[in-house]
Amino acid sequence: MYAKEQTSSGSDFQESAMADVVVIDDEESICEGCRQTLETEGFRAAIARDGTEGLKLVEQSHPKVVLVDLKMPGISGMEVLAKISEFDPSIVTIVITGYGSIDSAVETMKIGASDFLTKPFAPEKLIESVKQGIELGRPAKEAEVAERVAPPLEAPEKVPLNKQNVVLKGLEVLGQYYSLGFKERQFFDELRCLESEAKYHADRLGQVKEKGQAVLDIVHDLRLVNGIIQKYAFKKNALIQILLDIQMEFNWLPRHCLEWVSTRLNIPHTNIYTVANFYEALSLEPRGVHLIQICTGTACHVRGAAGLVDRVSSILGIEPGQTDSEQMFTLETVHCLGCCALGPVMVVDGEYYSNPSTKQIQEIAASCKVSRQKGEDYAQIEFSR
Amino acid sequence: MPRLNSAADLERLRKEILAKRDPNKLRVTVCSGTGCHAYGCEGVAEAFVNEIKSKNLQAKVDVRKTGCHGFCERGTVVVIFPEEICYLHVKPDDVSEIVQKTLIERKTVDRLLYQDTDGQKIVREGEIPFYKHQNRIIFGNNRFIDPKNINDYIAISGYSALSKTLFKMTPEQILAEVKEANLRGRGGGGFPTGRKWESTRNAQGEPKYVIVNADEGDPGAYMDRSLLEGNPHSVLEGLLIGAYAIGSHEGYIYVRQEYPLALENTTIAIESARQYGLLGQNILGSGFDFDVFIHRGAGAFVSGESSALMSAIEGHVGEPRPKYIHTSVKGLWDKPTCLNNVETWANVPFIINKGADWFKSIGTENSKGTKIFSLVGKINNTGLVEVPMGITLREIVYNIGGGIPNNKKFKAVQTGGPSGGVLPESMLDIPVDFDQLTEAGSMMGSGGMIVMDENTCMVDTARYYTEFLAQESCGKCVPCREGLRQMLRILNNITNGQGKEGDIELLEELSEFIQEASLCALGQTAPNPVLSTIKHFRDEYEAHIKETRCPAGMCKALIGYFIDPDKCLGCGRCAKNCPTDAIFETEDKTYFIDQEKCIKCGICMTVCPDKAKAVVLQDALYARY
Repeated sequence: MYAKEQTSSGSDFQESAMADVVVIDDEESICEGCRQTLETEGFRAAIARDGTEGLKLVEQSHPKVVLVDLKMPGISGMEVLAKISEFDPSIVTIVITGYGSIDSAVETMKIGASDFLTKPFAPEKLIESVKQGIELGRPAKEAEVAERVAPPLEAPEKVPLNKQNVVLKGLEVLGQYYSLGFKERQFFDELRCLESEAKYHADRLGQVKEKGQAVLDIVHDLRLVNGIIQKYAFKKNALIQILLDIQMEFNWLPRHCLEWVSTRLNIPHTNIYTVANFYEALSLEPRGVHLIQICTGTACHVRGAAGLVDRVSSILGIEPGQTDSEQMFTLETVHCLGCCALGPVMVVDGEYYSNPSTKQIQEIAASCKVSRQKGEDYAQIEFSR
Repeated sequence: MPRLNSAADLERLRKEILAKRDPNKLRVTVCSGTGCHAYGCEGVAEAFVNEIKSKNLQAKVDVRKTGCHGFCERGTVVVIFPEEICYLHVKPDDVSEIVQKTLIERKTVDRLLYQDTDGQKIVREGEIPFYKHQNRIIFGNNRFIDPKNINDYIAISGYSALSKTLFKMTPEQILAEVKEANLRGRGGGGFPTGRKWESTRNAQGEPKYVIVNADEGDPGAYMDRSLLEGNPHSVLEGLLIGAYAIGSHEGYIYVRQEYPLALENTTIAIESARQYGLLGQNILGSGFDFDVFIHRGAGAFVSGESSALMSAIEGHVGEPRPKYIHTSVKGLWDKPTCLNNVETWANVPFIINKGADWFKSIGTENSKGTKIFSLVGKINNTGLVEVPMGITLREIVYNIGGGIPNNKKFKAVQTGGPSGGVLPESMLDIPVDFDQLTEAGSMMGSGGMIVMDENTCMVDTARYYTEFLAQESCGKCVPCREGLRQMLRILNNITNGQGKEGDIELLEELSEFIQEASLCALGQTAPNPVLSTIKHFRDEYEAHIKETRCPAGMCKALIGYFIDPDKCLGCGRCAKNCPTDAIFETEDKTYFIDQEKCIKCGICMTVCPDKAKAVVLQDALYARY
């Protein structure tokens, strides 16, 4: 959207010759893929196959965003980043990296890259990252970043809420966690997960506790899980019951808890994840504070449940099975709520509504938000992963 | 609670309970089933307690929260004994009037009574047409007991069948009695229960297990759930009798996590039965040991299949396995296991108490007893109904269900859930039993009965079930996983107006293949909704494909909403309520719908004033003109 506005406003030749985004990568497929994706979104993209060519392009066209691969023949990605920073610190740089070099990618973020994408990445992710980069502008330099890494504890709310900060903050907490003796591989897994969930957590960043507290929280969670496992006498066949209890306790299945179940019951991760994926009642993603269920049983279906789902979806902006980015609502369709006389039925946190109108749904959503602002039922979602 | 150590102890307890209760004392029962729960029955019950306290009537009146009464359409249902005065649609605000008029002045509150079509008020619950045509044997006790109180169940001679079997019958005699009664599985298949018990008893291997299957996954069916919520002890008693006959000492109740009330009531029931010594070691001093555990299911339709359910209890993913050997021989942990549905177990105490001959006197030749149906959809009296086998569909739909709302025309009734089929009007007179329904191309299933009117699209119904099954298919075998997906694709095309000539034949071919090649009953019966709709409503399919027209006006891609400018009053109500702002005012003060923006939610049609009725539903084709 942003780029489109630019194109329409700038009509002289000079500007249209420039590129918004420069992609520097030695893999042709990545370059081409990025270009196509970016162009369909209305960005003007230019590609370069190595660092030297890339830097030339950057100097010529003065783009807003540069995507840089870390491992390239000739000049390395790190050097390219440094040179771009020298040339114009306001250019936003995003690092493209393979699975193995995530740690160095994290390093690049510390020296000023605004974001990183791990290969393979989905086109939507690329677009999201680039748009965000443009919006946020180039992040601050080292000194400021260092300050963010260890924000003054007295006033955590001053930390700007963007993806980079969330990831950095998360890394810090994770570092503490994994210094307890977890393996590197698990660390990377967590990192990927963390990245994808960063946006979920962004608005809660102000709530992040100090390091020591975060670790204590994890220990607290694991103690709870331990209690649940003990209740079932460490029986392997109680896995589904244990997962259901964890789900009830946390409203979803946090990774560190599943890890603990796996260790304590000696059940492979794959088995736990197969079960967790198979059943509808178990969720591997954090869920919203308010659960909205719409019955799509046959009785409700013939009475127009599909229309109700559409209405609620369009008002909340989420599809069934999704949670909104503020983690306020989770929308779910269920197969029968046992009150067919009221069909089509919507249940919000245990309250039943029979075929609510658009206005009613808006009111319900608004009242949920109000209760949230008052802090009546603040979610117990930890930034502890 | 004292432990009961003999049959005599149980009888003594029963006498004590009855002695404390005056049958003529006023008793207010508030239905607390899931349906009434949604209407807010908790508030009504609370209001009664408070009001009675404030009027100082505690000594004269009891308030009891009972299981489901079944008439969910008119919740919250309140019945006042001993006269059996039945009030419907009771709200907390009505309570003070009921207390004053009925409990103190002994008069009825007429506005809350049932009113039949001639305007006649009906006072007694049993005389309301909805109840009058039923035969509520299994379900009827719900209204007398508080499911959380074991004494209520004992008071209505609960656990007497258990004590009879433990002390007066041998396991062989029980088996003979159940076989003689010809009780068939209420879960859907209709397999003779006695034979299942016998094969589990005779199978090699110890221990043996018994399981209650309360994983009611059918969309639009909630009778097992209500039975477990309303009368959990009857299920437990049946299970105990079965376990004794089979020689099992351990049982499981598989309940869905989504049924919180069923879980809660069952847990309480098991606890209180344990305290009385009706579960555990040396039950009633007979030397028979048995205990039961609850397994919460995490919600997957396919887990209701017997082998899948057992796999879930073992802690694995609930996927079915090939049943070359029956689960009654090799089931849970490869041991002989007898699995029956909630309603089947609940039938057992009645057969033992009243005898096989009594049971056989109800029903048709090969289907004995009663069956609980959840009568839902486009029907006036939504609710749970228990009818003798052999009753016709017409009686259920019209006499009990009260016909179709808004004078619409009946189109079909769907039975058997996603594995069943639809039955058109021409089949309304067939008697409802296991064999007749199967012959008619549907099945008994667990008891879902969904009524459809002229505004229900049959192709959409088939699409709905296929989508449900494609979602719920575990994906283990290819025919079910891929076959259903392809069928869904074709059906989606048809309902979107992109159907092709030959689609119907292709659907039929795919159906045959899925039926023959699938691993478990989910796949084998999955094409039924499609096949039966094609059989009875082929013309609707053809209208969708050849004319891109949905005769029922339900398929969104094929319909459009229009405002008739001649009728439009210009009130603007439609525009205000339109969720996508697709309606705008034209120069001549009428309103117009922008078809590009319209999401076809139909709200404009509902809000359009009755005297105008300017919004009309037409085939999308007209949108171009």
